[in-house]
Amino acid sequence: MLYTGQILILIAILNNFLNVFLFFFLKKNSNFIKQIFITSSRLNALLILLAFLFLIFLYVSSDFRNLNVFFNSHSDKPLIYKISGVWGNHEGSLLLWILIMSVYNFVFSLNKSLDENLKNMTIFFQTIMTTSFILFMLLTSNPFIINFSNPNEGLGLNPVLQDPALAIHPPLLYIGYVGFSLVLSLAVSGMLTNKINTAWIKTTKQYSIFCWAMLTLGITVGSYWAYYELGWGGWWFWDPVENVSLMPWLTGLALIHSLQIINNNSYIKNWVIFLSILCFSLSLLGTFIVRSGVLMSVHAFASDSHRGMFILIIFFLITGFSFLVFLIKPDNTQRNPQSLVFNKYSTLIINNIVMTVACFTILLGTIYPIILESINNQRITVGAPYFNSTVIPIVLPGLLLMAIAPALSWKKNRINDFKYYLYIFFALLIICIVIYFLSNYNPWGIIGIAVGLWVLFPSIIQLIKIIVKKDIAKNKIPGLTSHIGMGILILGVTISSVWQKETINNLKIGEEILLENYSIKLKNVKEEVKNNYIRMMGNFKIFENNVEIGEIYSEKRYYPVSQTVTTEAGIMHKFDKDIYIVIGENISDNEWLIKIYFNPFVSFIWLGALITVLGGIISLRKI
Amino acid sequence: MKKIYPKLPLIFTVIIFGFLLYFLTQDKNPSNPPSALLNKQMPKFESNDLIDENYQISGEKFYGKKIIINFFASWCSPCKVEHPLLIEIANNHSDVLMIGVNHKDKKDDAMNFLESGNPYDQIALDKDGKIAMEFGVYGLPETFIINEKGIIVFAYVGPITNKIYEKKIKRLLSN
Amino acid sequence: MKKKLKDYFQISFFITLIIISSNFVIAKKNDTLNKDFDEITKMLRCMSCQNLNVYESDTDFSKQIKKEVFDQLKLNKSKEEIVDFMVERYGEYIVLKPRFDGKNLILWLSPFVLIISALLIIIGKMRKNS
Repeated sequence: MLYTGQILILIAILNNFLNVFLFFFLKKNSNFIKQIFITSSRLNALLILLAFLFLIFLYVSSDFRNLNVFFNSHSDKPLIYKISGVWGNHEGSLLLWILIMSVYNFVFSLNKSLDENLKNMTIFFQTIMTTSFILFMLLTSNPFIINFSNPNEGLGLNPVLQDPALAIHPPLLYIGYVGFSLVLSLAVSGMLTNKINTAWIKTTKQYSIFCWAMLTLGITVGSYWAYYELGWGGWWFWDPVENVSLMPWLTGLALIHSLQIINNNSYIKNWVIFLSILCFSLSLLGTFIVRSGVLMSVHAFASDSHRGMFILIIFFLITGFSFLVFLIKPDNTQRNPQSLVFNKYSTLIINNIVMTVACFTILLGTIYPIILESINNQRITVGAPYFNSTVIPIVLPGLLLMAIAPALSWKKNRINDFKYYLYIFFALLIICIVIYFLSNYNPWGIIGIAVGLWVLFPSIIQLIKIIVKKDIAKNKIPGLTSHIGMGILILGVTISSVWQKETINNLKIGEEILLENYSIKLKNVKEEVKNNYIRMMGNFKIFENNVEIGEIYSEKRYYPVSQTVTTEAGIMHKFDKDIYIVIGENISDNEWLIKIYFNPFVSFIWLGALITVLGGIISLRKI
Repeated sequence: MKKIYPKLPLIFTVIIFGFLLYFLTQDKNPSNPPSALLNKQMPKFESNDLIDENYQISGEKFYGKKIIINFFASWCSPCKVEHPLLIEIANNHSDVLMIGVNHKDKKDDAMNFLESGNPYDQIALDKDGKIAMEFGVYGLPETFIINEKGIIVFAYVGPITNKIYEKKIKRLLSN
Repeated sequence: MKKKLKDYFQISFFITLIIISSNFVIAKKNDTLNKDFDEITKMLRCMSCQNLNVYESDTDFSKQIKKEVFDQLKLNKSKEEIVDFMVERYGEYIVLKPRFDGKNLILWLSPFVLIISALLIIIGKMRKNS
């Protein structure tokens, strides 16, 4: 019984070897082999799913004879965290990764529109990649190792991970990251079989938009989690692990946009292939950075250099091979270069350049300390200020074009319609910058709001026009929706970071503090013993213009099993701002250190991101 | 010119792979950056001795001698872990001066801590953490080796282990 | 179509303009008494934390640094002097924003060189064609 997991994994490996082996015997007429080939690729997904369910079963039944359960679970834990604990650790999350990879392969095997050779080869590559990850898991991080000492109690799960957001954050991220593996397989097989045609484009579009939307959702959930759990008042910290998720997101964004151009023109095909490969390569590089422990981060897994070595080699083999194919067999179909004028085509190219350079900058900033330390044994920090002062100016031109691009025509030069507005806009930006140097104003607030509105209003107006007039341009709806989401997001990001107010106070019980037209009163601080933690909960009453508008509970939790303290910020969401309270040290008997943040319009960030995801989802129906 | 573009991704991949591989094999610790003072002159410091309070310890007195400086405190649990090894090192290399720096500690606690054995020849007091700041110490324990010219030749954050001793410290102390 | 396109860009442009101008009234930079202190501690990394600046963290290390920064500010030392003081002891690892010098040249310049040259090429081509 205990060995079920191991056995399932071993069968899966054998099955995959068979699958890879059979690929070389696929002949046009032999239907039988073809059947076995497809079936074995589906069987893999089934076996991995069973193994995964088995691991969940071990967690739910708190079977500490399994070493992974022993280290990461505890019988006191609520059921939902027992389940989410499966992917809250390195081994289990790797199994989830493999499961998602296999499921993608399964879903892809149902595809009927693609050329048969292309389809089989894609399955072949996907199986090879899945198998290499299964081997990685089995050799370095097996979740099914037996614990012979048979203890009564587990060692508990990292308390930071005991959170509903953490239950869905990794699966969503992985659905995004791992999905790009299929996009990569498709690209490589497309090149090798010379079948980069409309069916290929359509399939790639479906998968990449879906992955990108899920990745966006995953990142959003992650940033919301960081917002209320870390208690630093912010939602994005340019932490290496966050950067790592942003890189495939940016290239994915470029990929989605360049797939729009490829419909109208074949010149861009090689670029699309390059991006298809890049997305998963960056996901792999990210996995390496998160799991090898070469960088320090808030979210990194327990690290081990052997694991790092293994992933690094997987990264190198997959990326190196794909780019080698790209070098040897680039797409050479007919080319009719479109003239670059101020049209949709060129704005999309600029978008791609901007996204790629932004991604390059994040990659450079993330691994530069490693490169420098390898060369001269000196370590530097590349922190948030670097990314803020490079990435933001770089993406600005792309954001400016976002408002106009959907309205442009594919071929016709429209520069004359827009010249005037663009000139004024740039003049305004220059004025902002000049004013910044001559006076005391923060330029980013102005620039950010201007750009946000610049993106938001034209998109809304265009969308309304399409809906009201029942225009033929229905295919623009998803894009415009996503752009509206981005506009809202930009507004939220700008306003909440530039106009954030932060105060640190010592408050006694019963005392109140006045901030603008609010007064915040510390009612009491309670200590309570909960299931698997002890909490210290501050209860605050909030008055707006002397009228009570609600209460906020801010917590510090102490988990005795792992001896750690976590923060649960107390947040009151209002339409125009979040009141965000963190309870700190106990200064004297009934006096506490209280941090209060006013985060204006911060909820626009998540609202905007969700609308963007919605845009992606609607577009899936249209393809 | 046009032919170079398709090669670029592959070249970049190899370069990144190379650096990461090198870094990984170097056995670096991501939470311990290399000390900024390595290969630089030892910072000046002055203090009274923990045990003999009238005795003045000053960094300049040690020029011409090879010394080990070890930052410790009684409240620091990793310091307890490395303590037996420090005693062993002090016994093995009796020619090398071992200076302890007692960081933000109470005298009684520090004396208690040393009851199990005292590897240090002299112990400087660092009540306000200034000496630690001069040495760029941000976490205890931290160990430095300073050569005859007063140059810091080795710095290590965290409890020293047998492995570190065998691999690095032994060689630096014996020649 | 052409004309209408112009219309809504006009509308959105003016709305933008109004909001921008109203912002000039409120968008003041934070100028508290402790501005220098806040700025310096936000520039320094808490070396014993994972990815946090000294300003935000409450560890012993951060408390010590905060005290030192405060003391040095009282002695009328400039921001640069204080940061240099820290870098000398703790290494460049302590500054969150890498310095603009020889070894970090690639880090700072390559993104901008890339984006500017790429945009110039594209705009050049667009001008040539139109």
